[in-house]
Amino acid sequence: MIMAGVGWWWGGARTDFETGVGWTLDQPVPFSHEHHVAGLGIDCRFCHSGVEHSADAGIPPTYTCMTCHSQVWTNAAILEPVRASFAQNKPIRWNRVVDLPDYVYFNHSIHISKGVGCASCHGEVDRLPLMAKQKPFTMQFCLDCHRDPGPTLRPRSAVFDLHWKRESTTPSAQQMLDFYHIGGRKLTDCTICHR
Amino acid sequence: MTSPIPPFGDPWERRQILKMMAAGLALGGVSGCDGDSDALVPAVMPATDMVPGVPGLFTSASVIGGYAEGILIEHRDGRPVKVAGNPKHPASLGATDVFAQALLLGFYDPDRARGPTLNNRPVGLSHFMTALDKRRQHLAETHGEGFRILTGTVTSPTLAAQIAQLRAVYPGLRWHQWEAVSRDQVRAGAQLAYGRSLETVPRLERANVILAIDSDLLSSAPGHLAYARAFAERRNPARTQHMSRVYAVESMPTLTGLAADHRFAVSPPDMPAVLAGLAAAILRDEPIPDGAPPWLAGVAADLKSHRRGAFIHAGPDQPAETHALVHALNEALEGRGHSFDLLPSAEAAPLDQRASLTDLVRGMESGAVDTLLILGGNPAFTAPVDLGFEAALRKVAFSVSLADEPNETSAAATWHIPEAHPFEAWGDARAFDGSVAIQQAQALPLYGGRSQNEMLAIFNGDYYPDGYSMLRRAWQDRLAGDQPWRAALMTGVVEGTAAAPVGDALRPEAAAALPKAEKSAGVTVLFRPDPHLLDGRFANNAWLQELPRPLTKLVWDNPLLVPPALADRLGLAKGDKAALTVDGRRVEAPVWIVPGLADDCVVAQFGFGRRRTGSVGEGAGWDYFQLRRSLGLHDAPAKLEKIPGRHVLASTDRRGLLTETEREAALARQSTLASFLADAQVLKSPGAAVSVTLYDQPPAQSADMAWGMSIDLNACIGCNACIVACQAENNIPVVGKEQVAREREMHWLRIDLDEGSQFQPVLCMHCEEAPCEVVCPVGATVHDAEGLNGMVYNRCIGTRFCANNCPYKVRRFNFMAFSAEEKRPAQSRNPEVTVRARGVMEKCTFCVQRIAAARIQADIENRPIRDGELKTACQSACPTQAFTFGNIRDPDAEVSRRKASPLTYAMLGELNTRPRVTYEGRIRNLSTDAEDG
Repeated sequence: MIMAGVGWWWGGARTDFETGVGWTLDQPVPFSHEHHVAGLGIDCRFCHSGVEHSADAGIPPTYTCMTCHSQVWTNAAILEPVRASFAQNKPIRWNRVVDLPDYVYFNHSIHISKGVGCASCHGEVDRLPLMAKQKPFTMQFCLDCHRDPGPTLRPRSAVFDLHWKRESTTPSAQQMLDFYHIGGRKLTDCTICHR
Repeated sequence: MTSPIPPFGDPWERRQILKMMAAGLALGGVSGCDGDSDALVPAVMPATDMVPGVPGLFTSASVIGGYAEGILIEHRDGRPVKVAGNPKHPASLGATDVFAQALLLGFYDPDRARGPTLNNRPVGLSHFMTALDKRRQHLAETHGEGFRILTGTVTSPTLAAQIAQLRAVYPGLRWHQWEAVSRDQVRAGAQLAYGRSLETVPRLERANVILAIDSDLLSSAPGHLAYARAFAERRNPARTQHMSRVYAVESMPTLTGLAADHRFAVSPPDMPAVLAGLAAAILRDEPIPDGAPPWLAGVAADLKSHRRGAFIHAGPDQPAETHALVHALNEALEGRGHSFDLLPSAEAAPLDQRASLTDLVRGMESGAVDTLLILGGNPAFTAPVDLGFEAALRKVAFSVSLADEPNETSAAATWHIPEAHPFEAWGDARAFDGSVAIQQAQALPLYGGRSQNEMLAIFNGDYYPDGYSMLRRAWQDRLAGDQPWRAALMTGVVEGTAAAPVGDALRPEAAAALPKAEKSAGVTVLFRPDPHLLDGRFANNAWLQELPRPLTKLVWDNPLLVPPALADRLGLAKGDKAALTVDGRRVEAPVWIVPGLADDCVVAQFGFGRRRTGSVGEGAGWDYFQLRRSLGLHDAPAKLEKIPGRHVLASTDRRGLLTETEREAALARQSTLASFLADAQVLKSPGAAVSVTLYDQPPAQSADMAWGMSIDLNACIGCNACIVACQAENNIPVVGKEQVAREREMHWLRIDLDEGSQFQPVLCMHCEEAPCEVVCPVGATVHDAEGLNGMVYNRCIGTRFCANNCPYKVRRFNFMAFSAEEKRPAQSRNPEVTVRARGVMEKCTFCVQRIAAARIQADIENRPIRDGELKTACQSACPTQAFTFGNIRDPDAEVSRRKASPLTYAMLGELNTRPRVTYEGRIRNLSTDAEDG
């Protein structure tokens, strides 16, 4: 009984059920990354425009959707919430796929600037017809990289490339660390993320 | 709330279940630990000038008593979250006072007026407009006879121009002004001395000897932030060759007096003898007459021996004759053009405000006034009690009170129109030197408030005024075109508006001016504004209510301040009740004993005892305006007697808890200039420090980045701006009087007043060998590689052992759910800092959120953090630059230079905690002639 209890306590938090990895969330509009990114070739930054400048990558305003959908799929029933939002000036309320606790302060811009790709944390979203977490976003997940960022880093040109993989020609992990000037500061200090 | 159970088998996420439970519990009346789940809500139309998550800065001005201090307001996602000083504004130089910081809380105050009222019943604005339209027809018929406007002190060129325009339309219009914190005597003194109202602007960086007579130079004079900066430049002998010498002569300790080298307590009846002595010595080269205090000869001689570099300043509570005489003395000492300048007054229409208000009340009583517009202020509460303003106001047929909250004046007026908060209004105002700052609106009015400019436009027939276009039009000539206008908004100052010194000659009458000597049979009561509430306008501002007063560290109350001798004679102890009678009127209030007060003086700090204000200010303190008559605005003869009863008073002064040995530990070290010049190491500890530590090994240190701070005690004047800035930046909750009485105040930064004369800011020392870190059972307080002692709130389980172990007592514990219970919208808080829950310990973090922001920016740009790029909130707010923060591994950093000063010492350094915060001890430039009285 005790062993089962300990097992439940230890293992439970690591299951997909708890972390939500792979479990899609219902959204007001069933937005398909697969169609928009793989199908149409839209770059991440077209919608998530704050990612290089701000802590917050940003969810696109209704205006961004309407830049295309005022011209294509203009009467699709599936897009009714978008048109309604635009017409009534009421924002669309998306459900958070990645919901970090309030005491964690994550900054997108520094990660992008230091060669962490979108796909490193959010996965290859262009394979997803509906958005789901691809990584657990537990503190362990963050620490795994913060303890040794080198293998995860990519060249600047590959940060927004969802299918980049390490090859033999890719610079070594240590070379990536040197290029991005990482290693001087202790990335596992509590005060880096918690304040 | 997140979406309901999705239909296609998507799971309940664990947090969603908890949140549903929490919501259910909340509905059931019990709030859970988890808040509402947050949906991701973008905008519909993107804001073109705003990136979500990136702060923006806008210039504006904080206007108190008519005078502007430039500020920068930080916005996050379209809402103001923090105020900082504007480095380019002459009255700020990057610093703020407590009022500018507290403006933010006032903007989000839920007790602000929500809409117009007619005879205290809510009505729509259109109702007012209709009534006003009819009234204006009446005014047109009578040519404005009976039309009066009452404002505070006005420096705004646009407002003055609007009043002039209105007078052109209604020739019978008269403009009255009234400020409870009266500068009438300053104006009258200049009138006597020079024939018109002039502004004395000291150049303290060039003053070698300063005599401050009941002076507000460092505390509340217009321009006090700039004066404080210049003052501090000459006070640290490790950084200046020529340390100034400052004498203070005053009845009640002021910030200037506490910063002085010699402070003499003189009661008001004895002040004329001092001035007569100065006049004899300096104007006529005669010996000091008998009856003057013994130290006066030395002071006069010191002033005379520093011609051109001597400066005398008298505070606004001194009579006009004193001011005139001081003008004459300053001219005789040849300081003009060197240690001070004379500038034209920044006020648009300087006049005798007491006479102006008396005139208005006479008119109201006789029925001559039928239309009255009161722009801001609260005259029904602050007017001299013998005038009977409130009763007279009720007689006016059509009175409009433009006020930010329902107050005493709006209750007695016909109409109450909500006043726009300074963050909601476009306007302009002058600083002490005449420079104009444009006040930018930060948000559309939250409650439909109108600005003073807009009210005047409405009275002039423009019923739907737009504050922005009105201001733009007013500046069209001076700032023609888009470029100059934007430049003025970006810098925060309109270029070329600072006044040049005037050439007015001193009138001969000034030298003969002498205040009357009035002896009182009983005591003399000194009426002074509460340092944080002023005339009561900030009574509903919780930050200012809970801010410990510099001298007494009292919060939420304004007892009568009495000197120890008087208290002994009457058998009064702290908290005992007493009755103060002035001219037949009586107020019963507790007393507080203040050593340093002149004999037989009682200080009554007005601004409390509001009869009608929001929930914060209600019931706080006693109303001394009931005793303040129009011919006794500053001081008056009074009677004080003990009555039965006591009252609990809350003060954050804990020095009474120190033991004898602790007191001798010399927490705030001082010495004299003579000793320092003889031995520069005079403040260093004689013995060796304890070598034992609580650690086996020191924490790992980064080689190139180590944060440290140096606090200069020569510069700290005790103004408290740093405390409010810290409170605003770090979402520090207000706890209320009862909790402060239980020693549970939450301010991360406190300012101790050591030995009644030395201010010392105390904050987390970020000790390298921190006693707090070893005792935390869950590792909630940890040391990072750059030297910060960090708090990880989510780990804290509230054992409080860390606070127990801290020798500096700088840790604060959330005994109650203070943040949750604050009446403050979530949007008003700084999003970069966690809001702490109940049961969590907190303390100064060296503004780790600012460190993170600076480091991220520097890393993105691939460069090191520049020295001075990153300022903690306290450092940024301080007018005298007492705090210096930076990287101590950088030998060129300002903080390294300051730490290298011979005056540097670590507080309780003998405990071997190795604090990263060090102090530069205070040096007093004592005169060999004068001995403290």
